Amino acid sequence: MMKKLTLLAAAMLTATIALAAAPAPHKSGIEGKDYKWNAQEGEKMEALKMKGRVKEGEEAYEVCGACHLPSGAGRPDGTFPQLAGQHSTVLIKQMADIRAGLRDNPTMYPFAISLTDPQELADAAAYINSLCIPPTHGAYEGKDAAAQIAAGKDLYEKQCLECHGKTGEGNKEKFYPVIAGQHYKYLLRQMTEIRDGHRRNANPDMVKVIKPYTNEQLVAISAYQSSLVMPGAMCKAKPAAKKK
Amino acid sequence: MKQLVIGALLGAFALTPVLAADGAALYKDKTCNACHGPTGNKPLMPDYPKIAGQNAKYIEKQMLDIKSGARANGNSAAMKGVMHLVSDAEIKDIAEYLSKLKP
Repeated sequence: MMKKLTLLAAAMLTATIALAAAPAPHKSGIEGKDYKWNAQEGEKMEALKMKGRVKEGEEAYEVCGACHLPSGAGRPDGTFPQLAGQHSTVLIKQMADIRAGLRDNPTMYPFAISLTDPQELADAAAYINSLCIPPTHGAYEGKDAAAQIAAGKDLYEKQCLECHGKTGEGNKEKFYPVIAGQHYKYLLRQMTEIRDGHRRNANPDMVKVIKPYTNEQLVAISAYQSSLVMPGAMCKAKPAAKKK
Repeated sequence: MKQLVIGALLGAFALTPVLAADGAALYKDKTCNACHGPTGNKPLMPDYPKIAGQNAKYIEKQMLDIKSGARANGNSAAMKGVMHLVSDAEIKDIAEYLSKLKP
């Protein structure tokens, strides 16, 4: 009995030490045979059931804001997506997936695990949802923008619209993200990664749809999507120079 | 009035490239502070380095190597995700700035 306890304690200690600076775990995703997209399990489900608290969320969001900015605008260069205006379900799923090692993001991982529990995930999502939508974001900037957007609209309406909606509003209940008004370069990067199998928490239905698309087509679709206006409360013209 | 407009514009586009070669501003704008702490000596993770007061030459080389992929060990994958944001000249400025901080 005693020996068992000692062993258990030793195992727990090892686990704790390993946790202190562990690399991201690796959970089988799109590349695995048994992958089920958005499996209704884990802390995601717990967080979804909880009521997010905006005030506590503001504190939880502090580590997020260094990259995604206090305004939730992300960066127009697409390195970090705009979070303001995104569905809470999508925010929680992506945070949980990154924490679980299902969506690989070595840059964000240590920040994601600094949130302590499902309640903090819910809080952070609630806070992000309380932010107004920045009036500007990264768009396609080529001289042929009009042509790209028009071509992208045609493509979008053929296959993307069915899930992501007529105005790119996504679907909160189904965990489909808002794509309207997201940074052009972020959209392009994500679509490319989903097509090429690098975003491991992707929806296999989407992977199947997007597989045949060329780089040029993805550019056009991204240009169109980023030209759409994100639904929700826009910030006033002069963005609040919010003090930290 | 004109100054006000310019000020507002600067505020709105705080993310556009920093005009002056200001290491402190770059350090924040390029999100270095997120992982290494606001003054370079409070890393987010115990296995991220303190960089305040580090030799400028050394830290410049590490940044360049992580950016190019020549250095791919340790936690460099986490940092590589943002290195495309930083030009070689900006790396020099950041290194210079860090070397002058108190360790």
